[in-house]
Amino acid sequence: MNFDVTYFVEIIPLLLGYLGITLKMALLGLVFALALAVFMAVVRVFRVPVLDWLVQLYISFFRGTPLLVQLFLLYYGLPQIFPLMVGIDAFTAAVIGLSLHFSAYMAESIRAAILGIDKSQMEAALSIGQSPLMAMRRIVLPQAARIALPSLMNQFVDMIKSTSLAFTLGVAELMARAQMEASSSFRFFESFLAVALIYWVVVVLFTRLQMMMEKRLNRAYQR
Amino acid sequence: MIKHIRKAAAVVAMTLVTQSALAAEVVKVGMSGQYFPFTFVKKDVLQGFEVDLWNEIGQRNDYKVEFVTSNFSGLFGLLESGRIDTISNQITMTEARQAKYLFANPYVVDGAQVVTRKGSAIKGIEDLKGKTVAVNLGSNYEQLLRSYDKQNQINIKTYDTGIEQELMLGRIDAFVMDRVSSLELIKQHRLPFVHAGEAFETIRNAWPLLNNEKGKKLQAELNRVLAEMRADGTLAKISTKWFDADITQ
Repeated sequence: MNFDVTYFVEIIPLLLGYLGITLKMALLGLVFALALAVFMAVVRVFRVPVLDWLVQLYISFFRGTPLLVQLFLLYYGLPQIFPLMVGIDAFTAAVIGLSLHFSAYMAESIRAAILGIDKSQMEAALSIGQSPLMAMRRIVLPQAARIALPSLMNQFVDMIKSTSLAFTLGVAELMARAQMEASSSFRFFESFLAVALIYWVVVVLFTRLQMMMEKRLNRAYQR
Repeated sequence: MIKHIRKAAAVVAMTLVTQSALAAEVVKVGMSGQYFPFTFVKKDVLQGFEVDLWNEIGQRNDYKVEFVTSNFSGLFGLLESGRIDTISNQITMTEARQAKYLFANPYVVDGAQVVTRKGSAIKGIEDLKGKTVAVNLGSNYEQLLRSYDKQNQINIKTYDTGIEQELMLGRIDAFVMDRVSSLELIKQHRLPFVHAGEAFETIRNAWPLLNNEKGKKLQAELNRVLAEMRADGTLAKISTKWFDADITQ
């Protein structure tokens, strides 16, 4: 078997140097996507006129087209029509693209979680004089968060892996480096196996974190 | 006293102005970083023929050269949207590209080459009928092959990266690449590949530039520095370092 162990061992620390930029993209993407998603989910649950329709269109588009196409549109396409957009660098464009794309999925997860909370919770809050928005924020959303967590984490894991598309915009992230090293060394298997293991370990660590969070959120439900 | 301060301020202002006027111009050069030995990354260092050339050009023309690496398919998008000033990735001067972009004078003269596995029955471009042949996505070899393949008998596949690996695995029967870098590739990595016949078309590679003020300025400056480097032998020297041959004429 022709497996270069030394090369494999040497390339891992080298690739780890680029894990930071991958995680930064994913975490920034998560923050923006979550904010957008909560907003959109609430809009949809309350069926806010006009906005609800816009959100549905948004979700339909961002779920209905490939992420790579969205990134190309954003980074290469739009600047041809709006020259000012050239100022957006590749990293920012990738974060924007990831946020927009995954917010569409997350909005649906959060909406489902909100709808999963018994109506009586909202009614009780309203009966003691809370406004619908306040009741949503204080009573319904905290309970929905617990239900939404597993599927949101699922989407976040997907987002971490999707950062590997950013190389097509010129972001020198983890996958980009693996590809470049492989194309000069011709050690494809070693390079891609190394990069696969790194993604895997990262995802496993975040899954651990998810389990801890689930435990914490479940405390009130244990007897 | 006040006079002195004024004088000092004027001097400071003057130096600031002249310094900013003299500050090196930033030139952003796009490349794939995946085209051995033109532009590649080894142990985290971007290097190769193109990188050496631009470091030399940067010194001579007082540019601050910034290298931008992106997958090949993204390079023209980067140029088109003005995020880079030029592409240094063995870009062939085709008619279609010349209609759209300015080009500096060619710095590499080469040929399109069919590469196949050792022992293959393919001995030249005429043997490609019914075979699967790979080219790189966004490269001009696809059009070139099509122009030889009037009856559409060649199964052309395009790849973003890794055509060498595909040939090794046997998923394709041959690929088309430029003669020089394929030779280097086979030699350096001891790949079990051979050239099928002679190169079938002369190609000239150059730096594409946007057709605007900056592009025109760069075109003139690059042509000047290229002529200089050709005359004093620097161009040939850099070429020999990577290819053991002068591929620049």
